[in-house]
Amino acid sequence: MSDHFSGPRALADPTADISDVFAFPSPESPQHLVLVMDVFGKAGPTALFSDAVIYRFRLRPARIGSTGPGASFAVEADEFAFDCVFDVPATAKEATHPAQRGHCLMPSGETISFRVNHESGGRGEGVRVFAGQRSDPFFLDVRMVEKTVATRQLAFKKVGSDTLYGTNVLAIVLELEWAKLLKGGPMFAVVCETLRPGKRPIRIERVGRPEIKNVSLSWKMFDQVNRDLEIRDLYNSEDAFNLAPDYIDAYRARMNANLAFYDSLDRKIDWPLDEHGNHPLTKILLADFLAVDASKPFSETSYFEIEQAMLKDRAHVTGGGRWLNEDMMDFIFTLYVNAGNGPIIKDGIDGPIAWSTKVFPYMAPPNPPKVVQR
Amino acid sequence: MKATAQIATPARWCSNTSRSSTDGTIALLNLQAQIDGLEPDAWLGPPDVESRAALIELITLRGLILGCIADYERAEEIAEQLVHDAGTGGVAFVARARIRAVFHRFTDLDIAERLSLDAEIINSERAAIYQALGRYDEALAIREAATDRRASFENVSALAGLRAERGEIDAAERLYAESRNRYRGVSPFPLALLDFQSGLMWMNNGRLDDARSSFDAARRRVPAYAPAQGHLAEVEAESGEIETAVARLYPLAISSDDPDYAAQLARILADVGSTDESRRWCRQAAAHYDKLVARHPEAFADHAAEFWLTAGADPTKALRLAKINLEVRRTPRAYDLLLRAVGANDANGMRVPR
Repeated sequence: MSDHFSGPRALADPTADISDVFAFPSPESPQHLVLVMDVFGKAGPTALFSDAVIYRFRLRPARIGSTGPGASFAVEADEFAFDCVFDVPATAKEATHPAQRGHCLMPSGETISFRVNHESGGRGEGVRVFAGQRSDPFFLDVRMVEKTVATRQLAFKKVGSDTLYGTNVLAIVLELEWAKLLKGGPMFAVVCETLRPGKRPIRIERVGRPEIKNVSLSWKMFDQVNRDLEIRDLYNSEDAFNLAPDYIDAYRARMNANLAFYDSLDRKIDWPLDEHGNHPLTKILLADFLAVDASKPFSETSYFEIEQAMLKDRAHVTGGGRWLNEDMMDFIFTLYVNAGNGPIIKDGIDGPIAWSTKVFPYMAPPNPPKVVQR
Repeated sequence: MKATAQIATPARWCSNTSRSSTDGTIALLNLQAQIDGLEPDAWLGPPDVESRAALIELITLRGLILGCIADYERAEEIAEQLVHDAGTGGVAFVARARIRAVFHRFTDLDIAERLSLDAEIINSERAAIYQALGRYDEALAIREAATDRRASFENVSALAGLRAERGEIDAAERLYAESRNRYRGVSPFPLALLDFQSGLMWMNNGRLDDARSSFDAARRRVPAYAPAQGHLAEVEAESGEIETAVARLYPLAISSDDPDYAAQLARILADVGSTDESRRWCRQAAAHYDKLVARHPEAFADHAAEFWLTAGADPTKALRLAKINLEVRRTPRAYDLLLRAVGANDANGMRVPR
């Protein structure tokens, strides 16, 4: 749930609030690429997908554009979109757990229909789709992240308190035979979006990398340019593959300031700013998509490996993207604070309540409701 | 905000998903799912201020939609506990201020302000309080400044509601339309609340057809929206559609803990000569009003006074409550209620404060 509550507008309807995106080569079958979009963090048992939202997976073929400092991807203009929409359950008025149906529109124009919460999902030519309530695979200690920012000192405890322990999300899982369904590759840039349809569709939210809007962009106090700007709604409305020039400087300034803050936490500089004040990670993080190389084998810890290889001007060895069980907060804090030049920064939470599995639909079943005795 | 690059959407998707907001029944199930998801956070482990504040907002919203007073009371209970557990932060005090304002008790904002909470949040709450107290000019100054600074859906719709309450119908109508255009979300609740507010404006100005359209729009967005159903029934009754109104009110009068629906049903049934049944609903409403006035006099004095003036047929009780009401809200409606109560009591020589 790395992107949960990522802007005031997203709060208005939890079904449009994307909490996480994952992309990884199938652990079982190298011909398949798996994409996951989680919405509705901390969903109670009655949660349903909205019938007024398009849940969109966008993929573009990508390649490494440049390496070394200032490394960047070259993302092609061709795009493959997988759009999922959901019906109003016929029994919604009567039932506590009404049966909902979903439909996934493939780039080919084929539509795959499926029942929500049905383990085997729906199938089409080279694709499987699952949608339903699952255990939230993300884990973190939010209070200690906030305390770290408030006190300007790493505040993680040896044993943390998982903010998301026992919580559920609504998840959509696509398993694609990528060579059959997508042109180009084997590297793809992946972004997920929620859209309000209509004559002029509105992008409600978009997510690529984990913890960009919350951990990396939300803090205003370090930003000397826009100290009072709630930047996340603006950022959400942008096309991840074509950031409008109007606000790019605002995002850059915020990212530079916040990354510099994190780098200062161990009292040494691992990421010296360039002559324009830009942090070395800013450019590549603002390319806010998951880069996944479908030709590489599955790896449990692969997030940002492609980017790190690019920055160090070497060849990547994993598929990159992001696997469900990866300890993202440890990775991000270690990257931001010491660039991997020091000890792993551990947030005291080493796993979710339930591990995801390596078979479809990958994510663990939902947790039972917690019992509250007042 | 400048328009971002055009978003491609397949034409047939547009026709499949023609709704601009989530189906009201799904939205209500999801509201319940949000509450169920947050409630454990609020009580298990160390106090989580944000979770509890969000929970208070969500339970209050459910109370507003379902016309459920028990929800407001539950939200207040959580807010009291929140201030007790985390009374050093402005968030807790604002959360309590908001829910106390529902019961027409206005506290805590000064404390929250001293605790350096966002001035925009404080100002918005203060404007709502001024409006509730009938201090319209002060409320207007804040609302206009907020809209000048940021013409968001929230700011424009709040200004529309204030203009409507001041009787500035043309301006309010224009602002209602503008706020609808500014809405970018998919939750049906904000739009349903806006339709409802708009319906109240038309009703207060005797435009029953417009009121009917607005209440019906609110009901279509969220079928379980009890106050919209209740007011739609009122319009129907005033338009002579008694059977429809009564059919609409029965489930509300049975299920809701807000006595307004039973009172309304009693009034309509009395008008059409169903005296025995009217009395039964009247007794139910009377008992509920007495309990509510005892617990929350500032919040329920006006509705209870209205009841005792009409179906309840106890003008003395109505006058006592109308006086309490005028003490807490110096609005045109409160003066009118007192005048009617005075008239009903034939209280010669009584001075009505102006």
